[in-house]
Amino acid sequence: MKQFRKMVYPYLIWSTVMIAVPMLLILLYAFTVGGNSVSKFMFSFANFKRFLTDKTFLVVLYRSLRIAVETTVVCVLLGYPTAYIIAKFTEKVKMRWVLLITLPTWINMLVRTYAWTGILQDDGVINSILSFFGAGPITFMYTDFAVILGMVYNFLPFMVIQIYTSLTKMDYSLIEAACDLGANPRKCFTKVTLPLSMPGVISGITLVFLPSVSSFCIPRMLGGGSYVMVGTIIESQFLTAGDWNFGSAISLIMAIIIMISMYITKKVDKGEKLEGAQV
Amino acid sequence: MKKKGLLVLFAGILMTLGLAGCGAKEKLKIYLPGEYMSDDLVPDFEKKYGVKVDVELFDSNEMMYTKVMAGDNYDVLIPSDYMIERLIKEDYLQKLDTSKISNYGKIVSDIRKAPYNGYDPAGEYSVPYFWGTVGIVYNEKNVPSSEVEEKGFGIMKDTKYAGKIYMYDSERDSFMIAFKDLGYSMNTNNEDEINAAYDWLVELNTTMDPTTVTDEVIDGMAQGRKDLAIVYSGDAAYILSENEDMRYYTPSYGTNVWVDAMVIPKNASNPELAYKFIDYVISYDAAMGNTEAVGYASVNSDVLNEVTKEGGLYDGNEAYVPRTGYDKDEVFTDNEFLRKKLSELWIKVKASK
Repeated sequence: MKQFRKMVYPYLIWSTVMIAVPMLLILLYAFTVGGNSVSKFMFSFANFKRFLTDKTFLVVLYRSLRIAVETTVVCVLLGYPTAYIIAKFTEKVKMRWVLLITLPTWINMLVRTYAWTGILQDDGVINSILSFFGAGPITFMYTDFAVILGMVYNFLPFMVIQIYTSLTKMDYSLIEAACDLGANPRKCFTKVTLPLSMPGVISGITLVFLPSVSSFCIPRMLGGGSYVMVGTIIESQFLTAGDWNFGSAISLIMAIIIMISMYITKKVDKGEKLEGAQV
Repeated sequence: MKKKGLLVLFAGILMTLGLAGCGAKEKLKIYLPGEYMSDDLVPDFEKKYGVKVDVELFDSNEMMYTKVMAGDNYDVLIPSDYMIERLIKEDYLQKLDTSKISNYGKIVSDIRKAPYNGYDPAGEYSVPYFWGTVGIVYNEKNVPSSEVEEKGFGIMKDTKYAGKIYMYDSERDSFMIAFKDLGYSMNTNNEDEINAAYDWLVELNTTMDPTTVTDEVIDGMAQGRKDLAIVYSGDAAYILSENEDMRYYTPSYGTNVWVDAMVIPKNASNPELAYKFIDYVISYDAAMGNTEAVGYASVNSDVLNEVTKEGGLYDGNEAYVPRTGYDKDEVFTDNEFLRKKLSELWIKVKASK
């Protein structure tokens, strides 16, 4: 095995240059003030103070977290049954369904989201159909509904595939054993299947929550320019305001929030596992 | 500055990729806003001079600035006035030798006068590309002209039209209408005036339920989805040509006038070809094709006369020709204090909804 260890080096170099160095730069910028040139920096907590003491920013932070949590919950509620049903099919049918689920991700995300603006517009597809029946028009565009719909649509495949994988990897004989020992199908599901598929749900939550909380493209396209999320503020600090220090500080705050929430989900996961083992 | 959609950027990247891979021809690298040049212009130039042009597109002047300051080099850039002023200040641009530009004399003389020339008063660094104003596009059927003329930008706060307005998602343009409606200069450094403009916009945002967008405004107004919008003159010219109910108005108490111009950076690798390109862009045929495709006012006086004369493409289109002779009209000037301030306040305005 030892001779293969060398093969890790290219990856190590790559991840150092592409991940570690930028992260360190963000760290450096976040704790300094004095412009975008690294040469004349001064250590300071001012950027954090500015974010955490301003009510507007905190409201935006709350909204971003709320939208991300709502997106994740909807993804779990839709994704789990979907994955469960797919996992029950025969091998050949399964593959077809997995292909169908992942197919949309082959197309660029922006293009797909633009398509939604056409569907949800006041004179779009849905409202045209509604007006044919004499109903509507209902305003979908530039609402919470449109933003969450867009995010769920874009991130759902990640959830389904994660849960599906953990469901198919599961040892089916455990369920048979549970049934043999007198558990009814419902108990079988809640005591065996669900706990065993939790790792998939957890990694699905991670894959959905992370991009939703920092997303700025989908909120802008479906929520309009006044739909401000944390990602929007970070983007504007780097691209229009040119205040990289403040932008980095917000990124760092987001990173910390995400790390904490990951830690909590991991804890919950472990707790559930113990409970599952007691059956 | 006309921010164009990410989709366009994506298309631009594809286009650049598609064009790459030709032989060892002379090369020119240009960087301009998306959806801001006729599709034929670059291929025609390539054919005429047997060269190859790499086109890159940007979303905003600030994005362009970030990229060129990071060290990317281009032969021709097409930024807006205030950004050119900043690039001149930072000693990034070459002084131009106008004798190398044979069509230079064709440039509309108004662009070389106040207020339009504020960013480069002697015209030493830049050759104009398009020029225009910022104004209100309104649906004449639902909003009487007399009311728009009486209230100016203040009509955007008339609650009769709540839910029927588009705001443009740019701190500069939004604060501009507030500053102008309050009677201030849009290049002010006065904190009280900035705060008054901030309150003006917060009131608008909380009472009017505006839809804040960028390019979507063009299609939205052409389809008549709303009654009032803040629009650049060139986009307005397109909207007016698509929808005959729409009218364009620039308040008599002053508005933002602007020029986007071509410049050559000091680190350009092929300045000679850059001169040829600039000369070609403002030549009659290329400028005609460009203004027909994009809708913004041409800088070539012959072209401008041709399209606005009776029976011309923009005959009777009040949005096409930028106005002159209003002493309260201003160009944006580069002002770091105001830029940072507005950027932060604009986020707060939007979050106030």
